[in-house]
Amino acid sequence: MPDKKALRIALVGRPNTGKSSLFNRLTGMNQKVGNYPGVTMERTTGLSKWAPGVLAEVIDLPGVYSLHASSSDEEVVMNALFQTAPEEKIDRVIGLADGTNLKTCLFVFSQVLDLGLPAVLAVTMVDEMERRGMELKVEELSTTLGCPVVLVNARTGEGLDALRTAVLEAEPSRQIPFFQPGGVHLRWLAQVQEEQHLAIPYRAWLWGLNHVESSAGIEQESGKPPQRARTDEAIQRYRQVNQWLRQFFVADPVKDRRWTARMDRVVVHPIWGSIVLFGLLFILFQALFYGSEAPMNFIDDQIAALSGWMQGHLPGGFFTHLLTNGVLPGIAGVLMFIPQIALLFAFISLLEESGYMARVVFIMDRFMRPFGLSGKSVVPMVSGTACAIPAILSTRNMENSRERWLSIAVTPLITCSARLPVYALLIGLVIPDVSFLGLSVRGVVLLGLYALGFIAALSGSALLNRFTPAQKSPAFLLEMPPYRLPQLRNVATAVWNRTKSFVSEAGKIILAISVVLWFFASFGPEKTPDFTQEHEPIAIEASYIGHLGKAIEPVMEPLGFDWKVSVAVLSSFVAREVFVGTMATLYSVDDEDSATIRAQMARQVDPKTGQPYFTLAVGVSLLLFYAFAMQCMSTFAVVARETKSYTFATVQFIALGLLAYGAAWMAYVALA
Amino acid sequence: MFLSELALGQKAIVLQAPETLPVKLFEMGCMPGEEIELVFSAPFQDPMCFRVQGTLISMRRELAAIIPITEPDAR
Repeated sequence: MPDKKALRIALVGRPNTGKSSLFNRLTGMNQKVGNYPGVTMERTTGLSKWAPGVLAEVIDLPGVYSLHASSSDEEVVMNALFQTAPEEKIDRVIGLADGTNLKTCLFVFSQVLDLGLPAVLAVTMVDEMERRGMELKVEELSTTLGCPVVLVNARTGEGLDALRTAVLEAEPSRQIPFFQPGGVHLRWLAQVQEEQHLAIPYRAWLWGLNHVESSAGIEQESGKPPQRARTDEAIQRYRQVNQWLRQFFVADPVKDRRWTARMDRVVVHPIWGSIVLFGLLFILFQALFYGSEAPMNFIDDQIAALSGWMQGHLPGGFFTHLLTNGVLPGIAGVLMFIPQIALLFAFISLLEESGYMARVVFIMDRFMRPFGLSGKSVVPMVSGTACAIPAILSTRNMENSRERWLSIAVTPLITCSARLPVYALLIGLVIPDVSFLGLSVRGVVLLGLYALGFIAALSGSALLNRFTPAQKSPAFLLEMPPYRLPQLRNVATAVWNRTKSFVSEAGKIILAISVVLWFFASFGPEKTPDFTQEHEPIAIEASYIGHLGKAIEPVMEPLGFDWKVSVAVLSSFVAREVFVGTMATLYSVDDEDSATIRAQMARQVDPKTGQPYFTLAVGVSLLLFYAFAMQCMSTFAVVARETKSYTFATVQFIALGLLAYGAAWMAYVALA
Repeated sequence: MFLSELALGQKAIVLQAPETLPVKLFEMGCMPGEEIELVFSAPFQDPMCFRVQGTLISMRRELAAIIPITEPDAR
């Protein structure tokens, strides 16, 4: 927990100003991911020592184009800057400005200064400014703004010490306000100031215009809609910023933005651009599934070796059994995901760092619109192929709340990596290993399941869009950042933070459930387990989980699931891949290797027919069930957190469950 | 003339706009009196990307179709 004496410093600026680079420089790896007060949105903070006895807590706020709220990102920034409780109050602000794009950055910074907080302007991208022949008269600008201005190079660390010193010594600007609300608004403003106890006029102005009840008042008072007041502010501020730049900034327009323009000739070209995009998505896909194979096998081997060692060296009994059959599988279930999650976030952060991600959104926008989505939904859709959890988190930068909830609603249908072990096991079991037209049929089925996930997600979104009441949506406005060489430091930090939060959040649930499952599998209502022998402590039919599986068998029978499959399906509501482990337990396979489990499953005989139990009908029914059902408690938890509604998550869970049941039932009836 | 009618590389000046335009457009730097240029557009000319005040802002065609502009020399 942060020390009470820690100085709370917020980073505020437009997107693409090098904010995360600076944040990483200021805090190192000493970062903590948590939530903003009052909202469920994630935030990163970093604690570090800035001077003897001075502890600084740096808060990385989302990038914004204005302090007025057009999206939930901006709302978060505004709320953070308005906190008054001592443990949440912001003490200092570092405003960020991309030195090659000062105009629009100074617009936001002039708003920040008007809040009356001690602030420092950090001008980034200094090396790029030099290369392009740009020059900023720092001292003159500093005098005019009434606050320190520091040139910072986050790549080399140049200027960081000066920035720290300036922040520690900063005081509220002496020059404010830069924007003065006009005559017709003054009475309304005075009223808001009084009602909300906001001494600083601009604070009251921001607060009033961004709260519906107050902003209605401004219309009554002045006869102008509140948007007009914001527009007037923007025009006034830009006029002022332009004046500053004319005085303090020299640029050589010829050298400007040549590189980005040249890149864009290829990257957003209708033909070349599509080739680049699909090439990159193909590489991502390959990397996720083949690049993660070796590290995953390594983790698997290590866990198996550890388990073997424990069984050989620890005394037999309750505790050892809990360790090797409850705790270790849980830890393995967490660790196995790390390679894929790390690879995905490395890829996403490379795309974002380089400026390409915005182009993806741009190119795809037209294609996503018919489904009620925008190009921004491509990010969660692609991320969803690894895991729905980061995918749902990535919907935060959508300012259109409708598109956002549509994306959250359908993202769990995308084939995530947790389904892969289940698919691999079942496809290997029921689909013959033959080639058709030179293509492996098993491979085609797997590809088909991926396609099914996307089709289901897109048509689900189109349906929801069609049959839910429409609302006026905010405009699609997107800045195309200039191309930049990604900084490995930032990529590494993103990967580290994401992986860490997966392990600490989803990991806890997986481990806990694994232990609970172990309990249900090792104890039963009638018999007491015997941990002293080599064999399983209790016959699975006598265990709690066996009883539960039998209890729901009648419900699952129309899908072709017997009690064992029902048990496995039940236990996978924890996380889909648990299916494989449960199957191994149920068929008493010691080896967690998929091939061994598959062989054991293939030997199972249906007592009614005397034929192999896992027929094509059962296999396809199971595959479809896993394709549609939201069998993931972590996804449920994240949806509930992101939508701030357990109702939303519950309705989604039930709806997808019914869809899965229906599809599995139809497949079973058709094939049996 | 409206923004959506610009050809690739063509420049114009943004005119006083109707009040229905999103304020965010102004806050991002696209406001009356500024020079604006169509830099590139996506397949089907939608969305379109413009350079204004040194930044690249992309918007859908439907929004560009209600932003009034004029030829640079007509000012």
